Amino acid sequence: MPWKHILTAAMLLGATGAAGQTLPILVPLTGFLSLEGTSQRNGATLALADAAADLGVEHDISDTGTSPEVAVNAFLRAMDQDDVRAVVAPMLGTQMLALLPLATEFKMPLLTVSGTASITEQGNPYIFRFFPGDSVVKQAHARYAVEELGAKRPAVIFQTTAYGQSGRTHLAANLTELGSPPVLEEPLDVAVKDMLPVLTKARQAGADALLLHLHAGPTALVVRQAAAMGLDIPIVAGSAMHQPATAALLEPDELTGVCAETGSSPISGGHPDIETFTERYQAEFDTQPDAFALHQYDAVRMYLAALAKGAVNADDIQAALSSESYEGLAMTYKSDGTGNMAHDAVIICYDGSSRTPEIVKRYENLSGVL
Amino acid sequence: MLLAQLSLNALALGSSYALIALGFVLVLNATGAVNFAQGDAVMAGGFIAIAAASFFPEAFNTYGIVMLPIVLVGTGLLGLALSAVAYLPLRRHPPVTVFVSTIAVGIILTNSFNALFGAAPRATPPLLGGGQTVLGNLSLSQQSLAVIATAAALIAGLGFLLHATQLGRRLRATAQDPEIARALGINVTRMICLSFILGTALAGTAGLLLANQFFLTPNDGGVLMLKAYIAVAIGGWGSLRGAAAGAMFIAFFEVFVATWLSHPVAEAGLYLALFAVLLLRPQGLYGEAVQRRA
Repeated sequence: MPWKHILTAAMLLGATGAAGQTLPILVPLTGFLSLEGTSQRNGATLALADAAADLGVEHDISDTGTSPEVAVNAFLRAMDQDDVRAVVAPMLGTQMLALLPLATEFKMPLLTVSGTASITEQGNPYIFRFFPGDSVVKQAHARYAVEELGAKRPAVIFQTTAYGQSGRTHLAANLTELGSPPVLEEPLDVAVKDMLPVLTKARQAGADALLLHLHAGPTALVVRQAAAMGLDIPIVAGSAMHQPATAALLEPDELTGVCAETGSSPISGGHPDIETFTERYQAEFDTQPDAFALHQYDAVRMYLAALAKGAVNADDIQAALSSESYEGLAMTYKSDGTGNMAHDAVIICYDGSSRTPEIVKRYENLSGVL
Repeated sequence: MLLAQLSLNALALGSSYALIALGFVLVLNATGAVNFAQGDAVMAGGFIAIAAASFFPEAFNTYGIVMLPIVLVGTGLLGLALSAVAYLPLRRHPPVTVFVSTIAVGIILTNSFNALFGAAPRATPPLLGGGQTVLGNLSLSQQSLAVIATAAALIAGLGFLLHATQLGRRLRATAQDPEIARALGINVTRMICLSFILGTALAGTAGLLLANQFFLTPNDGGVLMLKAYIAVAIGGWGSLRGAAAGAMFIAFFEVFVATWLSHPVAEAGLYLALFAVLLLRPQGLYGEAVQRRA
């Protein structure tokens, strides 16, 4: 190693006092959200692999499963470690709500990509969400359907979970504001397998566009069944449709014309740095990255940047995340004062020739923070 | 046309539920205890098919029918292991012990699938082909038709085995009264193991069939187990005919009520129907075939 690199590393260690510090990564690796949790873990560890050695940051991964108690226990175990200045926190909203009081008690910043709107509505100064929340992405979702596709009578199909309810509320409000209130709002349990009934209802309601806010499996089921029954209206799905694992369930022709909102779409490329990230991710994990991986990567990179600038404890990290902006791979992040760091959204569409979507529309600074 | 389309979908869904419920009843009758790993056996069938497909050349791995024998053998062996681990060592204990042990095995299976295959939803190959056959306004999924035909063949085969063969008579004798069966020289332990093998093989086949149209994740087993449980409770605790009828009832109820009202109403209505059956006809539609339950 050249001397100047050794000297730089020594200076960084001296500046941050970071030797031996740990970044706990608490994510759902089992249970119904394990696909997204795995993306979180991969994004975080890839970011640490880039720079953590120089800064002396180690990581410790815990599976939070699907229950709040497991997440709380994992957090408490993490707090037993010597030098913890932030925690990568699970994207499951109910777990995040359980962790918020502990974050306050331990004055510990939580870095998450959870989409549940309410986690940043509790007045908690330690929560930092690096994925656009429903107030951002549902704006883009509704605007694309109405302004670009000309939807006048959209049908909204959403999951009965907290995630689904939150998305439905924002989507319906945005559609109404745009002058195209939904003609059908249909909730679906995650266990529902046959989508013909709900699609039949949408057809009978005279819907001219289907707006989905569903998890990965149900999204693919709706898209497939709509193609099978020849439901010839545009589909604009939620962020689950951007995930390569969701697209892999469908044939390219079934995806023709299907669009989706998301924070970003790394496999769509568009910038050399994102393409490099995607290549490295694939090489490391033998799978394609989704937006959750990219945004969690950016979150950890912002934390590492704060360390490199001299943050020596959790208070310093909290202050940096609260006040500074960071140019990530997916977008520019800056807190809106409640911990919402991401303010852009994109719309991706599949052209029917492959399972790789194209970014067709960018909506920037939707919350007006930047 | 809509009615025919909905009926076809319900029939295909009900056929898969019936395979799960029948396997559930076979084990229930043989042991008197509920096998809560039945839903995970469904997942096992799907994942075995996905794993097997990767070993076949492309000309074959796009057909689920090629995977079917492998799924039957693989899940049958899983059933044998399940009986050896979760039932036989605990058979002298109260039925609730088996109840807990099968839950434990189910959780282990779920997490094993998660570790081996990942959490992303996966699809198995279609049995014969994945296209649609259009008849007028009716769009017939070839996979749905294949699911119905396969389930019908397996259920008929099971009926033949149980009612027209000496082995089936031994299985039924064991289910009705193990002590008398033992006194008559029937190897009861062997019959119990065979019931587990048949039960999980049927569930595994359902996994192969369901996962093509409806995908599967490692965590789906619990929901399917619940469907089987409700089918058996409605149809008649321990009755094979009742299990098949209960499975069809669930599928038709889900599809039609969800179409005319909504999915949440269908879900709530299903449990109200279950409650009504338990209250008004606790023996189920076809009566109760076993005395003990857990």
